[in-house]
Amino acid sequence: MPTNFPTSVDNFTNPTANDSLNLPSHSTQHANANDAIEAVESYLLNGGQGLTLVKKQTIGSAVSTVAVTDAFSATYENYKIIISGGTSSANGYLKLNLTGSTASYSMFMIYGSFASNTVEGAGLSNTASWDYAGGMQSGQYLYMNAELMTPFLSKYTRLSSLATAQTHVNTGTATGVHAVATSYTGFTVTPSTGTITGGTIYVYGYGIGQ
Amino acid sequence: MSKPLIQIDDLVREMTDAEYADFQERQANSVNLNLETTQE
Repeated sequence: MPTNFPTSVDNFTNPTANDSLNLPSHSTQHANANDAIEAVESYLLNGGQGLTLVKKQTIGSAVSTVAVTDAFSATYENYKIIISGGTSSANGYLKLNLTGSTASYSMFMIYGSFASNTVEGAGLSNTASWDYAGGMQSGQYLYMNAELMTPFLSKYTRLSSLATAQTHVNTGTATGVHAVATSYTGFTVTPSTGTITGGTIYVYGYGIGQ
Repeated sequence: MSKPLIQIDDLVREMTDAEYADFQERQANSVNLNLETTQE
């Protein structure tokens, strides 16, 4: 009996104390149980329906750029990158690159400053990185909350960033595209100026179910 | 003069000449829209 997982719960026939080994079939009992276990294992290893931590990277001391390798693979299509904690030597923003590519990044940021009710916009076209993917404030923190769609596929990669900044006094959100149809397995994070220290880079894969 | 530090996964080291040239080019090509307002 093929397993119904994850569509519905299987309805196994439980043997009772006086059943013979062929009714219900002993081998079928094991085969059914094994099928169900394998389906659950495959589902969980593919992230199920949630997020799975793919990579966790602690940022070193006074580094000018951080490369994260082997973050993207065929296991997931879409990813979330979170950077939190740490500090920077200057105020500014965190740039995001797909490893080895320094062109064809575009993004549009909707932002405002904390002391104003005015909504502003800023567009970047064909730049060397997603320049405003995250932010940093000297002596306080680094931050990035970005999602990448299909970086591993040989297609354009889309960016959705929930925490962008051009400076530490502005905040906003952005979407963008990297218009190169190449497969990427990693990314780099670079401060706009100075160096960064500490903090953690988390990479999560969005589960694809079966 | 020592070059900036690059971190690749857990390894932190000085940039090579090629890495430094790439880093300088990317920094030079960064966009600065000068969006900063005056308040803190």
